[in-house]
Amino acid sequence: MVAAQNGHGGAYRRLLGEISGWLHRYFQRRLPHGDVEDAVQETLLAVHRRRHTYDPRYPLGPWLASIAKRKWIDQLRSLGRRPTEELTDDLAVGDHEASVTSASVLASLLDNLRPAQARIIMLVKIQGHSIEDASRETGLSASAVKMNIHRGLARLTALLEKTEDVE
Amino acid sequence: MSNDALIRELSADLVPVRRRLVLREAALLLALGAAELGLFLGLGLMRPDMGQRIASPYMMWKLGGLAMLAGVCCTVAIRSFSPTARPRRGLMLAFMLAGAVMIGGLFVGAGDASGHTLLDRLSPMRGLLCAFSIVVLSIPMMAMLAVLMRAAAPAHPEGSALASGIAAGTCGAFIFAFCCPINDPLYIVVWYSAGCAVVTAMARWLLPRRFRL
Repeated sequence: MVAAQNGHGGAYRRLLGEISGWLHRYFQRRLPHGDVEDAVQETLLAVHRRRHTYDPRYPLGPWLASIAKRKWIDQLRSLGRRPTEELTDDLAVGDHEASVTSASVLASLLDNLRPAQARIIMLVKIQGHSIEDASRETGLSASAVKMNIHRGLARLTALLEKTEDVE
Repeated sequence: MSNDALIRELSADLVPVRRRLVLREAALLLALGAAELGLFLGLGLMRPDMGQRIASPYMMWKLGGLAMLAGVCCTVAIRSFSPTARPRRGLMLAFMLAGAVMIGGLFVGAGDASGHTLLDRLSPMRGLLCAFSIVVLSIPMMAMLAVLMRAAAPAHPEGSALASGIAAGTCGAFIFAFCCPINDPLYIVVWYSAGCAVVTAMARWLLPRRFRL
């Protein structure tokens, strides 16, 4: 920061890069996801505008933290001022219950397979990858991939036949 | 704009900055206060009997108390402009000191007050004029503190504005004390406090609005 105060652009760029990462983590814990970037950039601008107020006799951390805190408060105030609308029944979206149930049931079924079988079935049968892609992804041979799919599906069929309450 | 682009833009053509120095700001305030007092006295506004009164306990209490308050409040205000400082403790100290100075007024006696009613002692019309004069005299100091606050980065602008208001008010009261002809501590406590309170309220209301980190 001292170098930046003396006009060293390279040092300042490195410093802002490091500060940016720290600010990202700071605001991620305190603000809604959509407001994090705004808060980071606002704070970077404040750091730039007020860099002359940093006293090199003291550590940089508390100085930066107090500016970030101030910006966090400003951001919270702006959140409070932002217009909101009450959600009515007219705005209700379509029912995703079936999809959610299917995903949940599928995940619990795949848990009963060996990890390699579950991963290959997920890649080929659910995500739509080819045998070759799955082979490259998992590091197994194409015939081993086919074998895992065959055995995995057979095991799933057996499990489903035993289970009565799964639609 | 992405963070990287913003960082590139901010670091391009970076110019050196002059670091903020508390002592420089204190010297600026001192110089302004001295210039204002010099101008005020230069215009012949000092009370005529100041030469005889200056060493009296009452005048020492009035001028000494106000000078001490102005010094402490200006220090608190300047310190609070730093992003890492909190004005809370300094403000507590200033309020305690103000209370102690007011209580000290009980012991310096009210030379001209014996046999007068409370209304006579307070002399509302003259008192309002005094309070108004204090407000006017405090404006240059408040303007200077506002400029310093705007150039700095207070993390608690409301507290800093309060400290600035008290500092400006006590500075104005200190300057006005050289021309005020009243020798009653009760009058001083009531109307000087009123003048300082108005200045403080103005600063508290105005200064945070003009400030953005």
